Amino acid sequence: MSATIPTTATPTFTPRVRRMTLKRRRQLAGVVFALPAIALVVGFIGIPIGQAIYYSFTQWNGLTSTWIGTSTWTQAFHNTNLWTALRNNGLLLLSVPFALAIPLCIAVLLHQRVAGWRIFRSIYFLPTAISWVVLGLVAERFFAYQGTLNSIIHALGFSHVSTNMLGYESEALIALGITFVFTMIGTNTMLFLTGLATLDPSLEEAARIDGAGRWRIFRSITLPHLRRFIQLAFVMTVIALFSALFSLIFVMTGGGPGYATTTMEFLIYETGFNQGDFGTAALYGLILFVITGIVGVVQLRLIGSNE
Amino acid sequence: MPPKRQRKIGRWILFGSMMVVAVIMLYPFWIMIITSLKSESQFLSGGGFSWLSWSTLTSVIPIGQEVLSSTIVCSSSILIILCVGLPAGFAFSKLRFRMSTVVFLVIVSAMMVPLQAILMPEFVNVTKLGLTGGYFGAILVYAALGTPFSVFLFSTYFRGVPDELIEAGIVDGLGYFGVTWRLIVPIAVPAIATVTVLQFIQIWDDLLVGLLFIQNTSERPITVGLAVLSAGRTTSIPALMAGSIVSAVPAMVVYLGFQRYLVKGLTMGIDR
Repeated sequence: MSATIPTTATPTFTPRVRRMTLKRRRQLAGVVFALPAIALVVGFIGIPIGQAIYYSFTQWNGLTSTWIGTSTWTQAFHNTNLWTALRNNGLLLLSVPFALAIPLCIAVLLHQRVAGWRIFRSIYFLPTAISWVVLGLVAERFFAYQGTLNSIIHALGFSHVSTNMLGYESEALIALGITFVFTMIGTNTMLFLTGLATLDPSLEEAARIDGAGRWRIFRSITLPHLRRFIQLAFVMTVIALFSALFSLIFVMTGGGPGYATTTMEFLIYETGFNQGDFGTAALYGLILFVITGIVGVVQLRLIGSNE
Repeated sequence: MPPKRQRKIGRWILFGSMMVVAVIMLYPFWIMIITSLKSESQFLSGGGFSWLSWSTLTSVIPIGQEVLSSTIVCSSSILIILCVGLPAGFAFSKLRFRMSTVVFLVIVSAMMVPLQAILMPEFVNVTKLGLTGGYFGAILVYAALGTPFSVFLFSTYFRGVPDELIEAGIVDGLGYFGVTWRLIVPIAVPAIATVTVLQFIQIWDDLLVGLLFIQNTSERPITVGLAVLSAGRTTSIPALMAGSIVSAVPAMVVYLGFQRYLVKGLTMGIDR
């Protein structure tokens, strides 16, 4: 290889110079076109990440900051609220299998193409359009003392039983998890349905002729085919769990009772804007950043592995 | 049992389960509608029907102002996202420059940064720039958060455009701005639609940015207005539900009208 370098490096001047200027013009245009996007992302996302790192070592109230070194960190890790929030996020992870399995069942149902399936599809996706603020308000009605859940329980004959899930520390998080699963159904069903549409029907046909049952076909053909879609849905669900619950928590519980439904993202808001402790809130932000970063790397690898 | 009859029963079970799911998914709309059609006292006692919460809606919630705010914030942010994202996507796919791949990867990975992670510095920066007074702060934050995805989507989309087309445009003397405006934008209409629909729903439905980056209560978007009212706990719930319906309608119309663009955007990562 090294022997060929001198020959290729010998330039033929005139055409090379002209091509260079053309190439340079194209590159220049590229830089100019990319610059606004770069500026926006660096200014509003890149720089704040750097600032968050700096401010996490300071006592900061938004106006003045004094460097106090790592003591913010040691204080933060001794703060029970942080561990409560992390525990709440961890417990909410238990809802992820439901947020995947239920949409998977619904997608398979829709894929059977029963008469009117298009109408059903539109109905199933409809709640995805509305704000999680509104869905949170509705969920509050559902779980309320005079709400739908108690009506159902009473209609089933347990008239002496009444729940008030959002009012109790032990149950509020479960109610939040159920609401979260509901809000994810539309998006995940859509993903799985798209995946099923790319499945070659002749494969299932061949398996059926070979005598495979429905369950067997689902296990051995449908599920493996959907693997990438399930991975993507998993990552999107986990990211939503760490960064999209704010609206639900804000309207349903305000993080309470106590800190029972305070997740990392809500703790950041609470610490920064209710307690005015900007430095600690910035630090919590960094922790959230690291968590979503790990999930994000997984997603980038999923996207990348296809190309 | 004869197989034909068995299949028929199977169909009915299938249809029945689909109906059950439909009832669950329509529940939010049902609860919003029936609750909004009660007066406050009827809501507390359980029975009855009244248009009161609708006829007095504007006195409880400044709904017109809030819808207007949402519209302004939404359309301005989307306009910026498109004007910034489309050329950048074009540059990263067709007008490669030194380090462009690295820059592209950095921008795309910004997609993974949730606003909450950088909330405090962001808030302080935008406040110090004096942008929380009007809509500008929120618009810029939404634009910055939406840009990474739109750059990713546009560049993936433009990868399929033949180089010859761009070269022909340059040879014809259009220049790079002319090529973008006359040749690339018309090709990109489906991608523009996808970005617009996804961002519209995202921004229209968002709470956090509107809550923190728009300080004047008279400039609140509708989602923020509803959330803040509900936190007040003294608000009439029928009126709140009526307001929720008003806020839900635009997003639902966009959603039903442009469903296929949404699906396309959502599965962008694995389709190509």
